[in-house]
Amino acid sequence: MSDEESGWHITESDPGVFTELLKTLGVPLIVDDLYSLDPSTLASLQPLHALIFLFKWVAPADSSEASVDYDDAFEGFFANQVVNNACATLAVLNGVCNIPGVGMGSELRGLVDFTTGMDPQTRGLAITSSEFLREAHNSLSPPSALSLADLDLGPRDKEDAYHFIVYTPVNGVLYELDGLKRSPVRHGVFPSTGEGWVALARDVIQKRIETYPPGSLHFNLQAIRTDPLPGLRRELEALQAGGHVNLAQQILRQISAEEDKRQRWAFENSLRRHNPLGLIHALLLGLAKAGGLEAATTGAKEKMKERIAKAREEAAKGKK
Amino acid sequence: MATQTLLSFKAGRSFRREGSSFVDASPVKGSLELLRGDDELLHLLWKNRATGQVEDDLIIFPMEAQFLKVPHTAGRTYVLKFSSSNQRHFFWMQDLSDSRDAEYATHVNGYLADPEYDPSTAAGPASSSQQAGPSAPPAPSTAPAGVTEDQLAELRALVSQVSQEQTLSQPGQSYSSARICFYTKRVSEDLSLSDVLTPSNLRPLFSNPRLLTAVFPHLPPDLPVPPSAESIQRIIESPQFQAGVRSLDQALATGLLSGLVKSLGLPEEAGLGVGPFLTAISRQAEHDHHDESGQDSMQTD
Repeated sequence: MSDEESGWHITESDPGVFTELLKTLGVPLIVDDLYSLDPSTLASLQPLHALIFLFKWVAPADSSEASVDYDDAFEGFFANQVVNNACATLAVLNGVCNIPGVGMGSELRGLVDFTTGMDPQTRGLAITSSEFLREAHNSLSPPSALSLADLDLGPRDKEDAYHFIVYTPVNGVLYELDGLKRSPVRHGVFPSTGEGWVALARDVIQKRIETYPPGSLHFNLQAIRTDPLPGLRRELEALQAGGHVNLAQQILRQISAEEDKRQRWAFENSLRRHNPLGLIHALLLGLAKAGGLEAATTGAKEKMKERIAKAREEAAKGKK
Repeated sequence: MATQTLLSFKAGRSFRREGSSFVDASPVKGSLELLRGDDELLHLLWKNRATGQVEDDLIIFPMEAQFLKVPHTAGRTYVLKFSSSNQRHFFWMQDLSDSRDAEYATHVNGYLADPEYDPSTAAGPASSSQQAGPSAPPAPSTAPAGVTEDQLAELRALVSQVSQEQTLSQPGQSYSSARICFYTKRVSEDLSLSDVLTPSNLRPLFSNPRLLTAVFPHLPPDLPVPPSAESIQRIIESPQFQAGVRSLDQALATGLLSGLVKSLGLPEEAGLGVGPFLTAISRQAEHDHHDESGQDSMQTD
């Protein structure tokens, strides 16, 4: 099925988008950007349930298939990627649905139950056919009145080429869930003490990065984790009740930083859902009425000329 | 040379060790500087304070990047994050006190969004897309004899940086050459609405409350902040809005939007390109003005 026929829109691979998706699915977890896998950063994000490794599909790493430990008898939730545009949502589902005791809304619960016992390919098809899921996924891209797909403007850039891999522990084993592989891949057991599975995940991810020629791999990391706010708020109350002013201050700062981030996400999500055409027109009309459109247009014409001149210069020089 | 320094503050870098996934916090004393170059473009430089050498020179187009505080870390780490690519550059504040960190970040973001940004009009540190928490500088402890407060603070910052910065790599990059963040696909040979809808160009509108209020109904209905000049400016500077403007630029370039522009009350020819679109809006504004003035009983077209 082509992306156009599938009805799944391209979405941004942004923690704010994923967190909102989880909310729509009734899953009480959040997704955060992860800039570092060092122990203290990871410790500060616990409880941590899954890591999402997303990267641009450039020249594939030279990995010997023989050494890959597929678990064809995997009993948890694993779906193949059937529609490219759905890859992000699929990865989130593969990550979330293997978390023991995870809360989810009735629609997602119904979907998971419905696909029990299916092979990965069939489950992938079932997921992709879910109207509910598709709408949840699409709800964070702009309404199609101004969709590039409708106008057939040619290939979009980076978002198409992203691939997602989830690392998560299931029954004491670290698994790699890659929607383009036939089954989940086992990466071994991990100690139940100390850092536990995340230490093993760090090693696995690092080794993977090292298989690519330096500079060829463009990637991001995200973490699926328990929402820290309820816990922080409870802690704050307790500290305030106990008169621990300094510690309460520290917790308050953390809460404040977390709430700032959520507000930024809510702001960006409201823009993602919004068709900007009316706003763009209103701004230009308002600017014209304020007497500033002519000057702005003149400035824009200058910039256009500069762009054209620079492009010609670059073309003449030949790009390095 | 018409280079103008817009902003400068002490900052260090963290960069990738070649061939590995680790990023080392570099203890080298440096400064992050924003300049308007003689090419009229915004340059973000990192300069080595010991040698005076400029070691990083990034040219950044408006609204391409944001300077965000990295959460979950003890150090004062910020990341320069690009909206259309995976590029990430990490910096850490090297001023003795963190009391100006949020202010610097606000100004960096101001310039990144609009090179004409005026820092004296900045709304304050807790604005737009930053992780600013309430900032109270930590009380400096007494320095042991022979060590200055400055050195002690830098040592503390260094230790906390090194212990937390095992950041995974970002695309391997050469840090010694100037790099233009240039998206050849988007080099438009046509007029671009992105160049028209800049915060500085929109100032005449922002300073007119009556006209600005007319824009409010077109804002996202679930915007989590009240409508105001500030929230509109924040929207204009957002990657999401910018992407929408670029989409409209590309769509208008096809000349096929005659149907769509009618829904805005514009004539068909407004859909033929960016230039005709703007001309039609200009006429629409005059027309509305004649309608609104009321006194004049003359009919206009």
